[in-house]
Amino acid sequence: MTETELLTWVRGPGFQIATIIFVLGILLRLAEILMLGRKPNLAEAKGSAMSSGLRTIFTRTIPDASTFRRSAFTITAGYIFHLGLFVVIFLYAPHILVFKDALNISWPALPSTVIDATTVITIIALIALLVHRLKDPVKRYLSNFDDYLVWFVTILPLVTGYIAFHRVGLPAPSLIAIHILSVELLMIVFPFTKLMHTFTLILARWYNGAISGYRGVQS
Amino acid sequence: MSASFEKGYNALKEQVDAADASFFSSCVHCGMCAEACLFFTETGAPERTPINKTEPLRRVWKQEYTLLGRIGKIFGLGKKVTDEMLQQWETLVYDSCTLCGRCSMVCPVGNDIAGMIRKTREGMAAAGHAPAGLIGATKRAVTIGSPMGVKLPALQAQIAHVEKDTGMTIPVDVKGADYMLLLSSMEIMNFPEFIEAVAKIFKHASVSWTISSEAFEATNSGIQIGVSDIAAELVQRVVDAAAKLKVKNVISPECGHAYMAIRWDGPNLIGKAYDFKVVHILELLDDLRQQGRLKVSRRLSQRLTYHDPCQISRRGGVIDEPRNLINMFADNFTEMPDTGKMNWCCGAGGGVSSNERADEIRLQVFQRKKDQLDAIHVDGMISACSNCRIHLEDGLEEYHMDMPVLSLTETLAQNLEDH
Amino acid sequence: MSQITDDTEFKQALKDLDESSQRLIAARFIEHVLPLSTDERIARIVKVAADNEASADELSNALRTAKAATFDSHTRCGSEGNWKEQAGYFVSRAAVAALTPCEQCSSGSPAWQAAMSSRMARTSMEIDADDMSTTNESEQQYKILSDYLNS
Repeated sequence: MTETELLTWVRGPGFQIATIIFVLGILLRLAEILMLGRKPNLAEAKGSAMSSGLRTIFTRTIPDASTFRRSAFTITAGYIFHLGLFVVIFLYAPHILVFKDALNISWPALPSTVIDATTVITIIALIALLVHRLKDPVKRYLSNFDDYLVWFVTILPLVTGYIAFHRVGLPAPSLIAIHILSVELLMIVFPFTKLMHTFTLILARWYNGAISGYRGVQS
Repeated sequence: MSASFEKGYNALKEQVDAADASFFSSCVHCGMCAEACLFFTETGAPERTPINKTEPLRRVWKQEYTLLGRIGKIFGLGKKVTDEMLQQWETLVYDSCTLCGRCSMVCPVGNDIAGMIRKTREGMAAAGHAPAGLIGATKRAVTIGSPMGVKLPALQAQIAHVEKDTGMTIPVDVKGADYMLLLSSMEIMNFPEFIEAVAKIFKHASVSWTISSEAFEATNSGIQIGVSDIAAELVQRVVDAAAKLKVKNVISPECGHAYMAIRWDGPNLIGKAYDFKVVHILELLDDLRQQGRLKVSRRLSQRLTYHDPCQISRRGGVIDEPRNLINMFADNFTEMPDTGKMNWCCGAGGGVSSNERADEIRLQVFQRKKDQLDAIHVDGMISACSNCRIHLEDGLEEYHMDMPVLSLTETLAQNLEDH
Repeated sequence: MSQITDDTEFKQALKDLDESSQRLIAARFIEHVLPLSTDERIARIVKVAADNEASADELSNALRTAKAATFDSHTRCGSEGNWKEQAGYFVSRAAVAALTPCEQCSSGSPAWQAAMSSRMARTSMEIDADDMSTTNESEQQYKILSDYLNS
């Protein structure tokens, strides 16, 4: 296969397959969760489950001071790479074009120098977090194949994207093809790993807030 | 109550609902829950990380309720739940957890980890892997009516003692009273002053109340061990007594898990909403305060703080009320660092105190409370749970700290205007 | 001097005593229920409490021991209650009360608390024996106090 053929496939059928698995996979996982249902609460409410649930979706983003002190590294590095990912994925002009193609919407981009720097910072944060995961007793104890796989498929697009942007080693079309492949890998793996937290965290935070709020506790 | 692994497995299966599924799907193994749990922070043992305590439940969820898990099960892949595993998890789920819920407050993706540990206990208990002390307590609760074996004559003797010493009559089985008071065996046995305090306050504030001779026990061991059927039966007794006496409200006393059991779990356990309201004694007292029916004539000048019983504050929703009441009689009240819904557990609830095997760890984790107290230099600590009180005293003793642990209700009663 | 005949007089008379007198009279209340405790430490603690010349160190050591005895004898949440043993718990509680300084005592009168706990010790025995009719510890305590005040 020539590099042009690879790139064409990766942009075409490859992307379609990945998208189908991504979307269906997410829907399947969400359905699996929601189908289980939840029994209604027969105790008399003290506060509002609904408003507390909605609020918690947002407020759980901010830890209290004491909690932050105890997990400062995890929280800080975690936010750096999450925000970095968001910036790199959604505010980079070529990526916005992909969204425009697929969904017919677009928005302003950040300068590519900013994206470039953000990519480096994000990669560093991810590496630091991997080191922490391997060395911290709690994280090491908890971690399994899923954790390490997810780390790999998350950092790979960042690294291949960076390399593609700087055109290092191979001609641009090949580098871009590799980058897109790495994204497609991420998309296929996504629904079957902890990456689902991207969506399920909304549910989880909602339930948590609802449970607490029902009892009159702001969670 | 014959136990078997199959029963345990099925119990776990029945527990999983959409919320649990969203929780397990969202966990990213960040480890922040460990830093919220005093059983981890004071021992450094990673297996005590809260989310790890739910592992039996998670494995059942994975292989029963996810496509990937179900496929894995067919091919013999994936982590299994075995009897050995449940046995291994016993000390994590019972000895190293009070269901305090601090983990649930801290999890960044929003998992109610304590709720899941509670559910995990259902499987553990059904498989026969619960601490002997709790099993005994639950048996006694069902057969005698009290987990500590307190029978009606004992309560009547306590009542007679209180009546003689105070000249007040304690109303028993009064039909149509506004409030029916429950008592925990801990209070009846270890803190009978509570009955006196309540009687005095109710007389002072002209509250219409009674105790039921058929259902006076507030403690619900079924909740602690994790056997919902038993928990339901214990709640039903209270419901029946309340119906018989036609009371409008049931009061839950100064006991943490009792409140959780009767106020929040109760109707869901028996499958029916109550015909009466449930209030914690502190909620009622705060109501009386708001209505101007409490007149305090003495104030305390000592520097005091309040320990939030987890099941009442963080898990129960009664956070402001105790502070409103304390401010009635305390001139020098100060909060602990990390207070209110983020306060730290005393280390003894949820069945830990009735488990002798957990004595050492229970005292070890008191260090967390000690650190809180060291930061504020107080003369005394107030709380509103008999179990917390006795173990705070034990912890203070163990760590050579000298301060009284006061019951909020009793202290309020002592400082009321005498008629 | 008159005899004390009810709790109002009793409580007031106790409150009027100074701290060391409260301790001495509390020791007497406890001595009266001492046989109900099987903990040998209590006898020694009561001796210290009853000693007019006891040093601050001796008193605080005794208080610590009393607190330990109280915890050791309490009925754990969920364990099977034994009222006979619970009597010992209340005797220890009385000892703690006797040795607790006035300002730390929530009711303001250590002797009153010691008296109450001593009564509870007796009540516990009655519960165990299933017989509420017999003794009247409060009246015994009135007599103890009256004798003390009249001496």
